Amino acid sequence: MKTKMTTFPLLSALFSLVLFMGITSPAHAAKWDEKMSPAEVEATLDTKFAEGKYSPKGADSCLMCHKRSEKVMDLFKGVHGAIDSSKSPMAGLQCEACHGPQGSHNRGGREPMIAFGPDSSLPADKQNSVCMSCHLDDKRMSWNTSHHDNADVACASCHNIHAAKDSVLDKQTEMEVCTSCHTKQKTDMNKRSSHPMKWNQMTCSDCHNPHGSLADADLVKPSVNETCYECHAEKRGPKLWEHAPVTENCVSCHNPHGSVNDGMLKTRAPQLCQQCHASDGHASNAYLGNTGMGSSVGDNAFTGGRSCLNCHSQVHGSNHPSGKLLQR
Amino acid sequence: MKYKLNLITLALLAPASFMATAGGYGLAEANTENVKFDKWVCKGCTVETGTTGSIGVGVGYNSEEDIKSANAFKSDNEFAGKLDADINYKGDKGYRASIEATDLGMDNGRADINVGKQGTYNINLNYRSIATYKSNDALTPYQGIGGNDLTLPDNWVTAGSSSQMPMLYSSLNPFELSLHRERAGLGFEYQTESLFTTFVNYQREEKSGIKQASGSFFNQSMMLAEPVDYTTDTLEAGIKLKGDNWFTSLNYNGSSFKNGNSQLSYDNAFNPTFGAQTRGYMSLDPDNEAHTVSLMGQFNDSVTAVSGRLMVGKMSQDQDFVTSGYGYQLPADSLDASVDLTGMNLKAVTRINRELRLNGSYDYSDRKNNTQVEEWTQISINETNGQVAYNTPYDHTSHRVKVGADYRINYGMKLDAGYEFKRDERSYQDREVTDDTNLWARFRVNSFEKWDMWVKGSFSHRDGSDYEASEWTSKEQNQLLRKYYLADRDRSQIEARVSYTPIDELTVDFGARYALDDYKNTEIGLTESEDTSYDANLSYMFNADVMFNAFYNHQVIKSAQSGSSNFATATWQADIEDNIDVMGAGLSYNNLMDSRLRLGLDYTYSDSDSTTQVRQGITGDYGDYFAKIHNVNLYAQYQATEKMGLRLDYKIEKYLDNDAANDIAPDAIWNVVGFGSNSHDYTAHMIMLSMSYKL
Repeated sequence: MKTKMTTFPLLSALFSLVLFMGITSPAHAAKWDEKMSPAEVEATLDTKFAEGKYSPKGADSCLMCHKRSEKVMDLFKGVHGAIDSSKSPMAGLQCEACHGPQGSHNRGGREPMIAFGPDSSLPADKQNSVCMSCHLDDKRMSWNTSHHDNADVACASCHNIHAAKDSVLDKQTEMEVCTSCHTKQKTDMNKRSSHPMKWNQMTCSDCHNPHGSLADADLVKPSVNETCYECHAEKRGPKLWEHAPVTENCVSCHNPHGSVNDGMLKTRAPQLCQQCHASDGHASNAYLGNTGMGSSVGDNAFTGGRSCLNCHSQVHGSNHPSGKLLQR
Repeated sequence: MKYKLNLITLALLAPASFMATAGGYGLAEANTENVKFDKWVCKGCTVETGTTGSIGVGVGYNSEEDIKSANAFKSDNEFAGKLDADINYKGDKGYRASIEATDLGMDNGRADINVGKQGTYNINLNYRSIATYKSNDALTPYQGIGGNDLTLPDNWVTAGSSSQMPMLYSSLNPFELSLHRERAGLGFEYQTESLFTTFVNYQREEKSGIKQASGSFFNQSMMLAEPVDYTTDTLEAGIKLKGDNWFTSLNYNGSSFKNGNSQLSYDNAFNPTFGAQTRGYMSLDPDNEAHTVSLMGQFNDSVTAVSGRLMVGKMSQDQDFVTSGYGYQLPADSLDASVDLTGMNLKAVTRINRELRLNGSYDYSDRKNNTQVEEWTQISINETNGQVAYNTPYDHTSHRVKVGADYRINYGMKLDAGYEFKRDERSYQDREVTDDTNLWARFRVNSFEKWDMWVKGSFSHRDGSDYEASEWTSKEQNQLLRKYYLADRDRSQIEARVSYTPIDELTVDFGARYALDDYKNTEIGLTESEDTSYDANLSYMFNADVMFNAFYNHQVIKSAQSGSSNFATATWQADIEDNIDVMGAGLSYNNLMDSRLRLGLDYTYSDSDSTTQVRQGITGDYGDYFAKIHNVNLYAQYQATEKMGLRLDYKIEKYLDNDAANDIAPDAIWNVVGFGSNSHDYTAHMIMLSMSYKL
């Protein structure tokens, strides 16, 4: 990427997508992968890590060969290459903090080093153990057993630290990146109603933590409702007349990723309401809609207009003293 | 892992000739005994200071009159301007600053400004806006739109049905149904050299606009324009401590919601019926607060990770009741409602050896509604007078246990499986306890050259305590009704994905998914729902400069329910079928005209269609209910000089939707005064020219 991508979202989205799928160019298998099996590479790296034969001069030793690579030198444009921060790898084991002890890699480069990304032959969990040893914080404390960890996604499959800016953090490309695997959600967000994700007004990470969380579906808040209340605080109440399934779980009735129905409802009214309300009277009747015998779906208040909501408008609960039937 | 192996090599490798260890390469575990740090001077490390980045401006033109197009074009103005910026400053000694702005000035603008010293402190300023547009031609006879008192014109003449209202059509005026959010925040973080970090973030969000509501008297109803004037303040603060293998933090999160309108009053458009009411009053969402404190911790030594969270919270609301038009004694002026939240999560994962990893977790959450139960007289809306009702503050407790294992058969095959049990306990509901058990397994193979595939299956079963139509919910419910979120249910799901890369330039992947929910003991209510979907994606690189991708997703959701119009066994059935097709393609051509020009085309089409059929002797349907949307974006980006780039975007949205139940005149339903048809049919175009300048 020679040119700045951030101002051109669609193109860069496409570009990151292709990068993400790892097909930009023939797989960059490392030199050692030609002669060694992944098991050999991993066992060698384990031994090297235990032996701790670090280089005599740190980064300067590595740069003797690698300084010609633009990609390598781009590290110094980002935070991981900062030389004046006590928390940067450059303040500690420098290149070898992440890539492991040099050992005899300097003799022709055939001895494996820890390599990162989707093309590395080293299993993702071992790659990630390097990153996780510093990035131990509240946003990543549930990485182990998170959705992406279980799927063997390497940190470096999404993140690039040898750059001034990590492109996966760009909100304009986030939807493309996530939906390249999460295709069901891609369908959902293109339906009749959805949260405004199709045009990047909202992004996946507004609600989900890609690094895992202690909540269901890696939500950013402890529960579904608390996640929804982040933006829909007016529905938090507690109101005088609560509607039980609403209080319990917003997804009882809504699909937050999108639906063929208005308002992201799983089913339209009156059918949705009639799945729980069958009292003796109007809630139990069959509402046939267009019968070809004189009645039509738009000619009565039970199916036409807002259906049940024509009268029971306060479906999220009412705070009116006389609001038991959620009418006012 | 793109290492290419065939089956024979795999089989040979499987008996571990090279034993890998379970642990990872965490820095805390590094063996640094022999490192001579005094020689590690890093002469070759070149960090350039100064300002880099780019700044851009753009102007767009949209001629479409249907405001719904503004969702895709991000502005409801005919002419829209925007500012983009991506500026980075790096100084000596770790001082850094950055400004990022995207589409600032448009409806979905964002900006983030950070100033600080690396590893010491950071100050953040942020801004974000979101707008959603529904319609600009909703029709209403009411005056005072945007306010909290909706009145009919002075010359309004009420009638028994909407079509008999003589002044209705001459009084109708169009108004806009749209919502706008604007959010601004300020954050500060401070870190010490060693273990300690503290932070505080404050954010205010304002949401304004108009949404749809309905006001009713007895069996007559008017659609109303409900004003939205919300302010939500959020404050987060915490301290974090971190060591080599552990992390802990104590956090506070507070949120305060204020509604600029506490009630909505409106005139009755119909002849007054019971109670002779000519004015109605609706209680709007009350001001409320929520506060939580949580303590989190983690230990992780690359072999075992244990993490946990303890959380206590309170949600409260004490807004004065709406008393206008309510002529009865109230037990209190306000509800003084409060809910206590308690949560605990504990999770552990450990690697037994290189092949096997085990994990387990326990989650507890409790919602205790402490609101007083009182007697509330209900306004009579029919022949029954002055009924008294008691509020039912819901409590809900859940426990969940999960255990799982993943087993790596070899470098390209993995099997994982798990078991989950969840118990939910509820108060004042038809079923007090429900138990969910879930078993799942997944097998993944990516050891074949060019192929990566996985299959996952799960089965879950829900049952629980006796289902009783509780006196609290409604004693009049049909005894055979089983509400779907409480009912016995068997859920089976299977999903598979295959990704195939025959040549480096081409990737094809295919996925399919099937889920069946069987509410096997339900006679009245939702009885079955089935969700089938598949998708196919293709990416092809013609050469280093030309890329093409295409996708097609298809989904069918079917559900069946039964009802009883004689309050006994089922007399009618409803079948709903949703059909969704989404497809798209993108083509980009880079490095044209001596690497100065890029061209691209993106296209998406989506069709969501739903049909509803209800059968009781005869069969009826709910007519058209669909949305068909085409989106095209054609763009050209030209690097005019080394510093200056130009970009031209041409966007088209062809939008058509319908809902037969709402494609009706304001007086189409005798007892409803509606907003008129809410369907859309337009082809909108937008042209945007932007210019960026490299600093």
